[in-house]
Amino acid sequence: MVDAHKIEDDLVFLNGEALGPEEAVEIQEHVSPLSLYYKVLSALFVLTGLTYAVSYLDLGELGLPVAMFVAVIKVSLVCTYFMHLKHDDRYHVFVFLSTLLFVGIFFTFILFDLSSRDRLSDEQGTFFQQRMDPDKGMPSRQPGFGPGLTPALPPGAAPAATVAPEATAEPAAEDKAEHDAGAH
Amino acid sequence: MANDKEKSKSEGEPTESKVDTSRPREPSFYEAQKGWKSWAFTLDHKRLGVMYLLSTMIFFFIAGMSAILFRTELLTPQGDFLPWLNQQLAGMMGQPISIEEAAAQSGTTYNKLFTVHGAVMVFLVIIPSVPGALGNFLLPLMLGAKDVAFPRLNLASFWIYSLGAIFFLYTLFMGGLDTGWTFYTPYSTNTGTAVISATAGAFILGFSSILTGINFMVTIHKMRAPGMTWYRMPLFVWAIYATAVIQVLATPVLAITLLLLMVERTLGIGIFDPAMGGDPVLFQHFFWFYSHPAVYIMILPGFGIESELIAVHSRKHIFGYKAIALSSVAIAIISFVVWGHHMFVSGQSELAGIVFSFLTFAVAVPTAIKVFSWVATLYKGSIAFNTPMLYGLMFLFTFTIGGLTGVFLGTLSVDVHLHDTYFVVAHFHYVMMGGTIIAFIGGIHHWWPKMFGKMYHEGSAKIGALLVFVGFNTTFFNQFVMGGQGMPRRYYTYVPQFQEQHVLSTIGAYILAVGLLWTATYLLYSLRKSNDAPVADNPWGGASLEWQTQSPPIEHNFHDTPRVTTGPYNFPQIDRTGEVDGH
Amino acid sequence: MSSHDAKAMRPGAIDPPMPLAHHFDTPGQQAGSAKFGMWVFLATEILMFSGLFLAYFVVRMLYPEMVLSSHELLDKTMGGVNTVVLLTSSFTMAMAVRAAQLGDQKGVVRNIILTILFAFVFMGVKYVEYTGKFAHGIFPGKYFDYVAAGEYAREHGHVLAGKPHIFFGLYFVMTGLHGVHVLAGIGVLTWVLLRARKGEFGPRYYAPVENVGLYWHIVDLVWIFLFPLLYLVR
Repeated sequence: MVDAHKIEDDLVFLNGEALGPEEAVEIQEHVSPLSLYYKVLSALFVLTGLTYAVSYLDLGELGLPVAMFVAVIKVSLVCTYFMHLKHDDRYHVFVFLSTLLFVGIFFTFILFDLSSRDRLSDEQGTFFQQRMDPDKGMPSRQPGFGPGLTPALPPGAAPAATVAPEATAEPAAEDKAEHDAGAH
Repeated sequence: MANDKEKSKSEGEPTESKVDTSRPREPSFYEAQKGWKSWAFTLDHKRLGVMYLLSTMIFFFIAGMSAILFRTELLTPQGDFLPWLNQQLAGMMGQPISIEEAAAQSGTTYNKLFTVHGAVMVFLVIIPSVPGALGNFLLPLMLGAKDVAFPRLNLASFWIYSLGAIFFLYTLFMGGLDTGWTFYTPYSTNTGTAVISATAGAFILGFSSILTGINFMVTIHKMRAPGMTWYRMPLFVWAIYATAVIQVLATPVLAITLLLLMVERTLGIGIFDPAMGGDPVLFQHFFWFYSHPAVYIMILPGFGIESELIAVHSRKHIFGYKAIALSSVAIAIISFVVWGHHMFVSGQSELAGIVFSFLTFAVAVPTAIKVFSWVATLYKGSIAFNTPMLYGLMFLFTFTIGGLTGVFLGTLSVDVHLHDTYFVVAHFHYVMMGGTIIAFIGGIHHWWPKMFGKMYHEGSAKIGALLVFVGFNTTFFNQFVMGGQGMPRRYYTYVPQFQEQHVLSTIGAYILAVGLLWTATYLLYSLRKSNDAPVADNPWGGASLEWQTQSPPIEHNFHDTPRVTTGPYNFPQIDRTGEVDGH
Repeated sequence: MSSHDAKAMRPGAIDPPMPLAHHFDTPGQQAGSAKFGMWVFLATEILMFSGLFLAYFVVRMLYPEMVLSSHELLDKTMGGVNTVVLLTSSFTMAMAVRAAQLGDQKGVVRNIILTILFAFVFMGVKYVEYTGKFAHGIFPGKYFDYVAAGEYAREHGHVLAGKPHIFFGLYFVMTGLHGVHVLAGIGVLTWVLLRARKGEFGPRYYAPVENVGLYWHIVDLVWIFLFPLLYLVR
């Protein structure tokens, strides 16, 4: 099975693999023209100006996606041209992209957990409430610390939410309460 | 590799007639350079491997002794051994205390003991043991390379490991740590014990682990000898490769987790500590995103050793080479999407629990592929019941139990009952100890003649293997039962109904300790000067490249760069590949 | 076995020989190994910072009002200036690699010096920002002075909602860890500069310049995300 292909002596070996002479490129070297670097730098400046300008517009919910979109474009410009991924070994691109995949796994599961944490509890109404009463505040080790500057209760949050039986339940999340109220 | 000298004898037993006399023996890498500098500043992967072996064994001893201490305490339902011990220690320090005062401290002492055991075993023994010791020693030999890709990085990695170990020892002398090896918040942000130095130690060890991972990945990609294609690499190399991938991808997240924990503890930024507005479950997510893949950092190299042991000592081409190789990679990838099964009762969302439970079952598939392939390799093989093979068979037995009970625990509803009981303790000891450590001991026996050029006494080794097997199973098997009946873990007193089982467990632990000490003794004894019985370069008749060089190897591993023309398990005489593997 | 002949060598370009470590067979294998190792290392850097970004998103999810009100206290313009500085330094770094590829010794030295200078400018701006924050009681975590910070916010027409100590704790950790990377970058850039001044790099051997450059670009990449998330996003 592993012996399927016979190795000829005139083949070139690269990293243990037998290859034809034209395939055996040990390291990708590419000199990009000067103009390309200038173009990329200008594009980066323009995009920076763009995010800066957009931040003065009130896009509401769209603010984050737009900013992230621009940042992703900037990052891909730097990776492709400054870091030479365009002309580099394909395997380096693979390493880079699979890193992003694992970052994606990391983000997706944790954000999924956080966003769905109250769902079944709320549906059934029987589980403990994770939110604490904002008026009572958090068990705080620091006097005068915590919700001192908290504005009045957001209109959506019910003050009836009781303290969780578990002492280590969720922190007082006024904002979260509002967030959840919006989600339902 | 067609090795003519092997054709006459087929059994895996060491035979002196096989000593290669065709070429004059050259100085081994031990003899090539002398003096302490030749060790402290060595760039030779073989010397680093030996240094890793020595240091992990020292910490194995420390961790084992702390386990013996708390197992002794668990002989009786009430606390009496640790209070006595505390009183004696206080007396020796010149501050005598009453037995009541000593008893009041003993809960914390117990916590510190199991933390030392857990943290040292995980961070200082199991994670670096196989990659650090056997991986370093064997990887370039198996690939036909002169060294790893970055020898200086390799040396740095060892010294960073030592630095991390010093932090752990400092923690120990500063009164220890009582959080358990998992450092869960909010306890770890509030407890008075030395959390910072311990997390700093783990942080530093993480760097060592990352550097080793990078080094191995690059070595496997770039340093293979001519003809050593991916599918001609020994399965140990595949396992080390998968391990390196996990080390590289997961350990950075541990670094940032521990960094945030240190910042949380010193500055109170409010990410993990609920009192400051943080989310303690988030810490567990961060922690297990590393630590679940980390259990595969621990077990995958064990799988690799097992493949070598089974194939070489049954003198048969491994069954399902590609399946075993690729299942290592599959395990590495799946390991990143199952971490939530440690958090079923931690307050993560029920939906996330269901998803994680489902994904956890997926790990069982590649793992089962491996186990079945090993069993199929044994079928009609010419099995030599020598010590490495005994450990190989032991691994099959104990790991299968450990792996299957993992599926119980991965089942959401079952885990709610079994969580934090001795069932969990038994499960991960069957995997970590019964899997990795057993495989590691087997691997040490298998490669002992290659590493040191000496052969241990086979009869003593068999006695040691028996003691380890009996001791291990006596200790942990009834812990499954105890856990099922509801005995919670991490308590130093317990309900009297469990006493018989605890006594049995403790006796098992003593037998295990005796077995391990016995093993260390005869192995070290074999290194004595007077043991000058010649050892064959290839005592077991292995077909992979590390057996093609001298024992112990010369400084640059091979006289000439080897040319590889066939796979690592094509044993010349027994292997009727046509029947076995569908050639 | 790349073909150097294909490259247009400038007249007067210097091409010093490549030092080859004993365990490699060819220079290409050595350079390829170093570069591959660097990419894997960059992967670990990305994953490490991803933990901080995830913490940011979680905090934002738990306390959206707090994050939005707190970030108003950060100086967008200083952040913007630093972005431009870091992008430019990335550019000069890329130019240094290009100069090495072409055997332009002076170009290598000049561009690395520029990169180091920009790095210092970046750290200088960060210093001004940090001291400005500290002056108004904005410290990380439990040292956060709610009274002083609240006044400072009111002076600028903002209301601090919720628990801004979390946001600023995260701000200091994220920018602090990034700053540590910039400092490390200055260190390795200086090392490469010293070697470049000795004329060690040329078309056959420029792996250290290239790999330090890759590291420097990653530092830049992290900032490209940090800037909008911390300073800009409403």
